[in-house]
Parts: sequence; C-alpha cells; structure tokens
Amino acid sequence: MFKPQAMDKIELIIPQNEVVRTTEALAASGIFHHTPAVQTIIETASRDSDIWQTWTTDLIALERRILLVMEELKMNEGAPPSVPPHIIEPRVAELDIERLEHEAETPVRELEAAKRRLTQLQKYVGQLTPIADLDVDLGTLRNLHYTFIMLGSMPVANIERLESSLEHIPFILITLRQEEHLATVMLFGLQQDAAVLNRAARSAYLNPLVTPEDYRGTPAQAIAALQAGIERTRQHIAEYEREIAHLHEMRIRHLRHLLWRVRATHALAHTIAGYDHRPHAYLVTGWVPAADRTRLEHEIGIVSEAVIIETLEPRQEDIGHIPASLKNPPLLSGFQGLVTTFGQPNYDELDPTPILALTFPLVFGLMFGDLGHGLLLLLAGLLLASRRIKALQSAAGFGVVIAFCGASAMLFGTLYGSIFGFENVLRAVWFRPLEQITDILLFAIGVGALLLSGGIIYNIINAALRQHWGYLLFNRNGVAGLLFYWSLLGMAARAFGAPLPIPGGVLAILAVICGIGLTFAEFFERLVERQHPLFKEDVGTYIALAFFELFETLISLFSNTLSYVRMGAFAVAHGALSLVVFIIAEVIGAPGSVGYWIIVILGNLFVIGFEGMIVGIQTLRLEYYELFSKFFSGGGTPYTPLSLIPKKGKISSVEGASG
Amino acid sequence: MARSGVTAYAQVNATTRALYASLLAPEAWRALIQAPDLDALLVQLEKTAYAPYLKIDHQLLTPRRTVYQLRWHLARGYEKLIRLTPEPASQLIKQLWQLYEVDNLKATLRGVETNASWDEVRRLLSPMPRHITLTNDDIQRMLASGSIVRAIERLRHTPYYDTLLHAFERYEAEKNLFPLEVALDLDYRRGLWQAIHNLKGLDYEQALRLVGTSIDMDNLLWAARYRVYHRLSLQEIINYTLPFGYQVQDADIRAIAEGEEIIAVVKRIYPRVEALDDIPAQTRDNVSPQRHQLALVERALQRHIIKLCYESFLGNPFHIGVPLAYLMLLEYELRDLTVVVEAKASQLPVERLTSMLTIEWW
Repeated sequence: MFKPQAMDKIELIIPQNEVVRTTEALAASGIFHHTPAVQTIIETASRDSDIWQTWTTDLIALERRILLVMEELKMNEGAPPSVPPHIIEPRVAELDIERLEHEAETPVRELEAAKRRLTQLQKYVGQLTPIADLDVDLGTLRNLHYTFIMLGSMPVANIERLESSLEHIPFILITLRQEEHLATVMLFGLQQDAAVLNRAARSAYLNPLVTPEDYRGTPAQAIAALQAGIERTRQHIAEYEREIAHLHEMRIRHLRHLLWRVRATHALAHTIAGYDHRPHAYLVTGWVPAADRTRLEHEIGIVSEAVIIETLEPRQEDIGHIPASLKNPPLLSGFQGLVTTFGQPNYDELDPTPILALTFPLVFGLMFGDLGHGLLLLLAGLLLASRRIKALQSAAGFGVVIAFCGASAMLFGTLYGSIFGFENVLRAVWFRPLEQITDILLFAIGVGALLLSGGIIYNIINAALRQHWGYLLFNRNGVAGLLFYWSLLGMAARAFGAPLPIPGGVLAILAVICGIGLTFAEFFERLVERQHPLFKEDVGTYIALAFFELFETLISLFSNTLSYVRMGAFAVAHGALSLVVFIIAEVIGAPGSVGYWIIVILGNLFVIGFEGMIVGIQTLRLEYYELFSKFFSGGGTPYTPLSLIPKKGKISSVEGASG
Repeated sequence: MARSGVTAYAQVNATTRALYASLLAPEAWRALIQAPDLDALLVQLEKTAYAPYLKIDHQLLTPRRTVYQLRWHLARGYEKLIRLTPEPASQLIKQLWQLYEVDNLKATLRGVETNASWDEVRRLLSPMPRHITLTNDDIQRMLASGSIVRAIERLRHTPYYDTLLHAFERYEAEKNLFPLEVALDLDYRRGLWQAIHNLKGLDYEQALRLVGTSIDMDNLLWAARYRVYHRLSLQEIINYTLPFGYQVQDADIRAIAEGEEIIAVVKRIYPRVEALDDIPAQTRDNVSPQRHQLALVERALQRHIIKLCYESFLGNPFHIGVPLAYLMLLEYELRDLTVVVEAKASQLPVERLTSMLTIEWW
C-alpha cells in the first residue's frame, strides 16, 4: 500500500510460429506490461514488408469501413466485449466487410437519393408557389422570342452582386420569396442578351428551375403534379427506412462482433509490430508484478512450451521507466485518482495515496467543521460511491473522497459545536473558531508544521529507498532541512513563551549547523555521493549563490508554514458565513416563520455548495503545492497491462495529435 | 461585457511579444537557406521554435510530412491567442483560423473527386486540433462516401452545408469543383468581414487595416486571375469577387475585369506599395508573361501587408492589431518555410530559392 508493487523484468523468446498465441496469452493474463524498444519500432516501421505493420495499417482502414456501415445502418458500436474476440485476418475481414457494404449500399443510397429528390421537389413547389396564379405554360415562358425569363433560387447574399454585375445591361430582377439564406427570384431581360444573362446568373449561383418532364404545364398544374411526386417519394423513403431497419436488426450483432474482432486484431498486430524481431523468433521484454511472475510463466507454459522466459536484472537505463503499479484498497481509489491527476508516482518512491487519504479529509474538515453540513456531504458521497446514479457512475471514486471529507467535517463540527450553522444548539467539545480566532489560527499553523514535517520525512524515506545518501542528509527537504525547520520552530515557540525541554542555545546551535549544511548542500551532497567535480561552477559564484539558496529555503519554509493559516481562516469564515445567513433570515422574517426557515435552508445549501467547493479547492491546493512539493514530483511510468480490447475505443483516433 | 484597452490586452500583448521573439531570426533564415539538403535543413529547424513539432522519426519526415509538422506551430499559436484574446476580437481570430478549415475542406473535396484515401489526404491538411467545426472524423467519412454529393451530405452539421448544397447544382452540371471552391471562398470572407464589423474603436481600425488589406489583396488578385487564367466575362468576374473591401471599390474590380492593368489599379489604391514600378507592363494577349506579372504584383502586395504587420508593433500596443500582426507574420513565415522545404527536397539552387520567397527575411 505504501510502495508500488515489486516488479520483475522478464524477457520472452517466442518462436515465430508461436507469437500470436503467446501474445494472446500475455494479454489474457492481464498482468504483463510490454516495453517496446524504441529502435525496434523505427526499424520495423521502415520495413514495409513487415506483415504486422501492414496489418496495423490495413485494420485501421477496415475499422473505418465497418464504422461507416454501422453509421449508415444507424447502429452504435456497443460495449466492449468482456473477453477479447478471436483475431481475424485483414483479408478475411475485408471480404466480410465488402459483403456487408454491398448489402447496405442499395437501400442506403436509394434512401439518400430519395431524400434529395424530396428536397428538390419541395424546392420546386416553393419556387412555383409565388407564380401559382399565372395562367401560362412554363415551357412557353422559357421559349419566348424577344424576352429572356429565368425563374430560380439563389443565395440572398449574391442578389446585390448580380444586379451590380448587370449594370450595363437592361434587366429586371424580382425577388418572389426570401427564406433565411436563399431567395426565389425571376430575372427578366432581352433575348439578345441571353448569353450574358445566363453567364451572369450562373456565376451568381442562380440555379434555374428546370422541372422534369412530368411537371410541365401551368405553374398550378406543375405544383399539383409535384405534390403527387412528393407523396410518392415519401412512400419510397418509408420503404427504404423499413429495409434499413430490417438490416439493422439482422446485422447488428454481426457488425459489432466484427468491429471488436478487427480492433482486437489491430491491438495484437500493433503489439507484435513493437517486438524485437530476430530471425525465426521474437524478443519481448516487459514487466510483471513479482508476486504474479510464476502465474504468468505457468499460463504461457500451457500455451507453448517452446517459449523461453527469463527474469532479468533491471539495468541502469530502466531506472525511471519501471512501471509503478499502485496497490491501494478500493476505498482509496478516489484519493489515488487525485494523486495520479497530479503525477504518476515513480517505482522507487513511496505512494503518496495513504498520506493524502489521511491529510485531505483532515484539512477539509478543519476548514469546513459543521456536523450538519458534514452529514449531508457524507450522504452525498455515499450515494455517489454506491453507483446508484447512472450518469455519475464514473465519479464513484470521488464519492468516497466526499464521504471522508463529510465525516471529517462532522468530527470537527462536533469539536466546534456547530450544526447547520447553529452555534448555540450543540456544546463545543473543543472551542468555537469564531470566538477564539487566535487559537484556531495558531492551531492551523501547528497542523501545517506537522504536515510539512510529514512531507519532509516522506522525502527522506524516498531518498533512503533510492540510496541517495547525500541528498537524504543535506537537501532542504532532507535531514538537514527538517532539523533546521524544527529548530526554527522551537526558537519561535520559545520566543512566544512556550515551555520546551530543549534550551534555546541548543536550538540556535542546531539551526546554525543545519544552516551551514543547507548552504553548502550541493557540495556536501556531491562529497557524500563521491561525484566530481565537487563544484559545478567556480567557487566564488557557488558561495554567492549558496547564501541566496539558504535565504530562499528560509523564505519558503516560512511561507509554506504560513500558507496553512488559511485553514484557520476558513474555519472562521465558515462560522461567519453561517452567521450572515441567520442575519438575512431574521431580516426576512421573525425566527420560526416560514420566510426565516426558507432563507436558513437556502443559505445552508449555498454554504455547502459554494464554500464547500472553495474549501475543496483550497485543500487540493495545500496538498498539491505545499505538501507534495516536499517529496513528490510525478513523472513515473503507469503500469498498463497489455490488453487486446482498446480502452479508448476507436483505434483510428488513438493516434497522437501530431501523429 | 466586452473589455478593451490595457486590461483586455495586457496578457495578450505580453504573450504575443514573447511569441514574436520566437519568429525566425535573420541568422536562422540564412542557415536554413544555405542548408545543403533536407536533412541539414531539419537539423537547423531543430534549433528554432519549430523543434518540438519535428520530434518524430526523421525517416518519416518527407517534405510533405515536414510541412505538415511545421504547421503545428501555427495551430498552437492560433490556439494560444484565441484563448487569451477577449471577445469579440477573439471571434475575428477564430474566423481567420477558419481559413485553414476551408482549405482542408477544399482539399478533401478534391480527394473525394480523385478517390484518394485518408492516408493520401491527411498530410495535405492543416492540423487543426481546436476551434473547428470540421473534424478529422468528418473528413474521413467524406473520403469514404465515394461521391461529392454524399460527401456534402456528411457536412450537414457544419456551416458549410448550405453553401455547398446550393453550389452543388453547378458542380453537377459542370463536373468541376471550381463553383464549390469559389462559393466557399466568398462565404468565408463574408464571415471575416462581418467579424471585423463586430469590433469597435481601435480594434476595428486595426483589424480593418490588416485583415481588410488582406481581403483587398485577395479580391484584386482574384479579379485579375479570373481574367487572365479563366478568361471570364465582366459579369462573372464581378459575381465571383467580393462586394466589399477596405480600399478596393467595385469600380476597381470592374476596371480590372474590363482589362485595366492590375499594376495601375494597385498603384491608385495603395500608393505605398513598393516595387510596382519595377514590374514590366504586359499586353493582354500574352498570357504567360501576364501570369509572371501577376505573381510579382502578388508578392508586392504581400510585402506591403508584412510591412503593415511590423508597423502594428509600434505605438499603443493594446489592441487586436498586435496578435493579428503576429499571426499573419507567422503565416508568411510558414509559407516561405514551405518553399524552403520543397526547394531543399528538390535540390533547387540557393539563388532560385531566394527569388521564390515573399520577403528577404534575412
């Protein structure tokens, strides 16, 4: 729980003919973290003949084709299968997809064409309606000897431009009807200018109305015929939609299965393409939790006896790249999420999740102490964690964090004697922050000093685990830093009259010794670690910089500690905000009246929502920037066991933004 | 409420100044131009602000892929400045950014017409991770659709659908993408013009000065190209150009359409444009020299815009002109970098290469 799981580096030598089965077994085990070698990827990528690379490319294209058919048949891809489906050769998959495409093509294309025809017919009706009363054959209008007439639709934005372009030509342009972007217009001119008018109209995107043969006659006759045509087309659309619905019903399972087979095969091909390909064999390296190594060997042994598995000693270049598998109880998954949001822990350092799970609710409760508000948060958190709200199921882990914070707020609410903002109902077990502001602020500083010390101790343990003894002893977040901090705290406490068993002189000497250690920390660290040269730059520059370093350490310890004063300030603010709610409630109505209670309830909800959010953000800030900065930087490699079911769904979108 | 002045532009201005400093310095340009081949050019580019985008296997960096990777720098620049610029000015930057989406759409339509695959088309596109209506997924679905009409159907959710659907009748009659592309270009610039007019005060003036001049340049060159390359009629030229502009009036477009030399028109509208007198006048029948003349006029106008961009960094800096000028300079830088990449890939002599660049950056 405190350290990532111990990992073993293993190397598998897989005969070429066993590579598929073995990779499937590795993925099925759910514990093998594959490490593709960089040079191998490049080498493989440049070898066009490599079958697996070709498979990868082909399968991306096939996936797109399947998704297109599914979209045309109005299907979604469904949930990923629980067990990886069998792999499928791209050639076989393509034959299957071609058949499905062919099956869907006719009704889908016919439907699209029918919809376009419907739109076109409706457009014709729209264009003819303004001249419906005209008792002239449309054919006659088009074939006049001396007059040019063009009825059609064009973008509204182009009307002015068309008029401008015909400046030197006699014409009349009448807008018969105008919709949002399009207008139905009639262009009149002289037949002798027809060529110019036609070119001008065309370049202004005036699409002339050319009704099919069936819709000739007077405008009224054409409209009646068009209406009948619209009705027929609607019937066709309904027929095609029924046909597509039938295909949907028939093929949905098959298409989904095929889609996930293609995706699983892509994952497999992509993985194998990343293996180190030797003549007749593949060399595969990766990591497994040490406790599960034997199980993996057993499972691979069942699949193939020809595969050789060796456990390797991690090499120098592996340091920093060993995947960190965090093993925390499910109850702490929400806190682990907060840790990984900040950064992925390294393999050789302590997992900050337990310390976060302990301090996060503590800090939150201290700032948000109220028995009633805490209870509501606890209930809301438990409801979230129970996964009963479908839309918020993914936030179940966060529900546990809220529940812990709620419980802590209840505890501090009891200590402060506060329930739903009422400060006179419960007896304060400890004291009321609003009445003893100095005490709560000093207490907050004390808690801050404790947390910072905890952070530094965590860092010392991390340094010990990495065997960085120089860093452990002399770093500002190491032993020297901790003793320096404590001696300064001790001197400050004595200055304020606190009875300490250690004499002031001893504290001062300790501070001076540690201060010297911190000032020349880099020199001492290099000395202990036997690194040369002892000074990276010339001695004069180093000494000048070293004193500034000490000054910066001092300032940062001071500001880090003072930063925690906000915990006390928020505890006071929480009480004050509740007081404001009651003052407003009393202005609205006498205590006990309906208006009074409405304001009290709304005010409490506001305090929980608004102040709860602010306190949550402040807590996160204190954890991330004050505490984590002492011992945790992130940058580790997450443990991601090989899987043939892509977590991100669509494989073609998994490529990086710049890829 | 829209903010303006110092409070609105303090952060934008500071960020733009920092970005401005990352534009290629004269020494960098010299080194790039003198690079003996594409590999050496890549080594030089890795010392510039483009380095993070070239951190991929060098074997994959073909000229086309290199240009694609370089365009990421522009995408990040737009992203950053759209985020920082206050409303409604950020709308103008978004609209400017949309030009690349329009270009992507045109490239996709060409891909659909030639039955190209996604892999053939993708590196021709500008990378556009944010502030888009047309996603890579849409483009892939368009390419898979098999026909222009079906590809347009896949744009139903985008602002391009109505424009393309109406222009499609022309495409179907002529089997030529020209009407679709012109419709998209005109529609895009109408949006740009509208975005300028949504601004007020100094923002409006600066946007008009920079983007308005750029629109003028497009309009003038379109008119000249339609006459020289496509031999269109006066009415067609007017309909295929914009009815608005910063300094360009309808009469100017009409003059070009009726055969007046573009150099004379540009001189009349923009007397500050340099080097126009050095461009030899041409007769109307001689198409090839006319094309050469047009290319020189285009370069003179581009240089004028670059000059306007540099001027934006002088004086009161708290307006939209500063981020606009930086982005426009970056676009020109990228345009010339593209020329350098192509030139190095095809082993073009340095003299030939430098003659093809917009400006002497060094």
